Amino acid sequence: MSMRTISSQLLAAAGGLALVTTTSAQAQDLAFVSCPIIKDTPSVPCWLAEYDGELYYMGVQSDVSAPFTPPWLGHKALVEGTPAADGERICGGIVLEPVKVSVMPEMSPECGTVLMAEPGYVLPFEPRRPPGPSTGQLAFTPPPPPPLPEPPFVARTFEVYFPFDGSVNFQTPRALQEVLRYAEAIGATRLEVAGYRGAVQLSDGEIIAEREGISDLRAREVARMFDGMIDSVEDIAVSSSDLAEPGDWGDRKVAITVYP
Amino acid sequence: MRLSSLILLAGCSTFLSAIAMQGLHAQQSGEPAHIDGQREQAAAVAADTQAVPNGGRAWWDPGEGKPLARMVEYDNDHGRLRLFNTSGEIETAGHPFFEPISSNGRACVSCHQPADGMSLSVRTIRERWEETGGTDPIFAAIDGSNCPNLPQGEEASHSLLLQRGLFRVFLPWPPKDPWGEGTIEPEFTLEVVRDPGGCNTSEEYGLASDNPMVSVYRRPRIVANLPYPTHRNFGIGPFIGKTGAPALRDPENGEPVNMNIMADARTPTLGTQAMDAAATHLQLLGGLSEEQRRQITAFEDQLFAAQVYDNEGGDLLLGEGGKAFGPENLAYGDIGVLGNNTTRWVFPVDESWAEPQPGLTDEQNAMRASIWRGQQIFHFRTFWISDSMHLNTVGLGNPVKRTCATCHGMHMTGLDAANGWMDIGTTNLPWAREVPLNPWTDEEELMPLFKITCRDDIPPHPFFGRVIYTQDPGRALISGKCNDVGTIVMQQFRALASRAPYFSNGSAANIRELIDFYDRRYNIQYSEQEKVDLENFLGTL
Repeated sequence: MSMRTISSQLLAAAGGLALVTTTSAQAQDLAFVSCPIIKDTPSVPCWLAEYDGELYYMGVQSDVSAPFTPPWLGHKALVEGTPAADGERICGGIVLEPVKVSVMPEMSPECGTVLMAEPGYVLPFEPRRPPGPSTGQLAFTPPPPPPLPEPPFVARTFEVYFPFDGSVNFQTPRALQEVLRYAEAIGATRLEVAGYRGAVQLSDGEIIAEREGISDLRAREVARMFDGMIDSVEDIAVSSSDLAEPGDWGDRKVAITVYP
Repeated sequence: MRLSSLILLAGCSTFLSAIAMQGLHAQQSGEPAHIDGQREQAAAVAADTQAVPNGGRAWWDPGEGKPLARMVEYDNDHGRLRLFNTSGEIETAGHPFFEPISSNGRACVSCHQPADGMSLSVRTIRERWEETGGTDPIFAAIDGSNCPNLPQGEEASHSLLLQRGLFRVFLPWPPKDPWGEGTIEPEFTLEVVRDPGGCNTSEEYGLASDNPMVSVYRRPRIVANLPYPTHRNFGIGPFIGKTGAPALRDPENGEPVNMNIMADARTPTLGTQAMDAAATHLQLLGGLSEEQRRQITAFEDQLFAAQVYDNEGGDLLLGEGGKAFGPENLAYGDIGVLGNNTTRWVFPVDESWAEPQPGLTDEQNAMRASIWRGQQIFHFRTFWISDSMHLNTVGLGNPVKRTCATCHGMHMTGLDAANGWMDIGTTNLPWAREVPLNPWTDEEELMPLFKITCRDDIPPHPFFGRVIYTQDPGRALISGKCNDVGTIVMQQFRALASRAPYFSNGSAANIRELIDFYDRRYNIQYSEQEKVDLENFLGTL
């Protein structure tokens, strides 16, 4: 399958938002659905997943600012990632970077593996956020906002991405900040909010599609978040497309076009 | 609107009812939508105008008229609580917080007693029952009994208040839309499985009544240190941090609010909370005047409460580094900021505070060392937090290896800095306290039990699936959201020693039971010494 690769910073900004720009195809990406595994360490725990007889490392527990959002025991996870070319392992798993993890909505009580810390093993890096008190700042600092636009103002489209089968969540307000900033800066008069539904061809060939109606739900929920937010906006148009062609995480989105 | 401000946050008397209904349309500006229905039920319940206000040991009667000193202290089991009025002595005569301004004999102070840390302990409730033969206004039929249609004056009719310190909270079902007219279509159906008080199945007061209401039973929350739960600082914005949904707004200025005042976050401000409480607890059907609201909120905004003396450890304010203790430190502390970090602790106690102090006995110094260890456990003792809605679901993973201070992170209070409702299992089964079901017990469960069935067209609850049994759906009674079932806004940790029992449903009779609940719920495996240290620490707040 093909997968867009974008910078970690952009991923960090996402639950996620990115301009429709830097994408490229990359081979050897993986997409699979399996039970997540949590493995303790003397510091923060690692999150792993097993696929086709191999263990993969997805990330460590951090805080809400982290680009990696850990999965949940009790649920399977859709893992979309790129194995490290050099075969680097952390916590025993081949590193997936970048990686997107979606918690599958249905409960899977069989997903409950907790691995104890291996004696003598320490993480090869200092976690940005320990399991206790922080150092007084978020683990990851978001990139600075781009300069405010200069006239003449133009219509601009922003995309907000979602986990598989997911809609507005704790990450969405952060993802909308740049949209709000731009809309206020240009005195936007109209917003178009378009919801989309994704599908993924897994590495074993199976195609899984998001639930029907998710595109409309996403569009309506995001449009509602803008309701009354920008004084100059007179109209918020909502549309959706429930077509779901096999693609990648970038298809699970809402596109917001801001008009001067 | 600027972006910077957006980012985050009993006998029913038909005659009386007819009179009362005349006031029903006096809806006040900014009044939350749910109050109208509540007022209708409040009007349907006779207010006992012969209720006996009677002075108790430390009891503050409505209409007592004596001034509330700038500083006043009260003894409790752990030591001594101090109240601090930053605006100076309060003249309570004529003050709407202290005067019985409605016909049922209650005032705000009835259930927010100074000696009980501005809440109401079950011990005080029992004392009032004994001293007044059950005629104190706190036992009013409307919410001081399990249901207004029960015979008043009998212990069994007030069992939830007498045993757990719980008042009836009646809420419209389905929920009112806080953003407009009409109601919210809930994501779930609600069935009454068990109804010991009879109110949810009552034809007059229940779900099938002409004014459909759900009755749940909750503790009065502390009316002190309120600049903290109402702050508009860190994490407060137009969207609820845990869900992305729009946050409630202050009806007076349109600004998003914290939503940490009530157990279900239904009222945005102290002013709207006063309206809610006046309509329900006071049965003040015509509502509060603007001046009364102003006086109540002004009083609430300046009052601070915290322990200042520990029976075994002595003066908590003695020595350096004890900035966690006493109401003055609260009054002048940093409000609305995170404390779960190495630059600012949730409860700032320095190690030097625990050093042996001259003038104290060995036993007192040993107690201070234990309190210090408890503070360290609170901040540093990790455990696995799992299956907790609005905690494990907000980017940390399930489970997450963290500490008490992760959730109880607001500096000085241990509140959630942002919108703070989550499900730790206090009301949802299987974690909620329930009488064991077996052939050998004849004890009957006091609490109602609801069966929640989430609709097929929404995702299942992450940790319960589509069917949830709960004693109190919590926030879900307001939002209609399946994922909010059993979520309760956490309370501040202050004045704990003066206001047992704990949790919104009073299910922890004392601080040790509170600790034991967490120990069971999250398999923390505290040692006995850790439990003792934590208990000693929490008792000093």
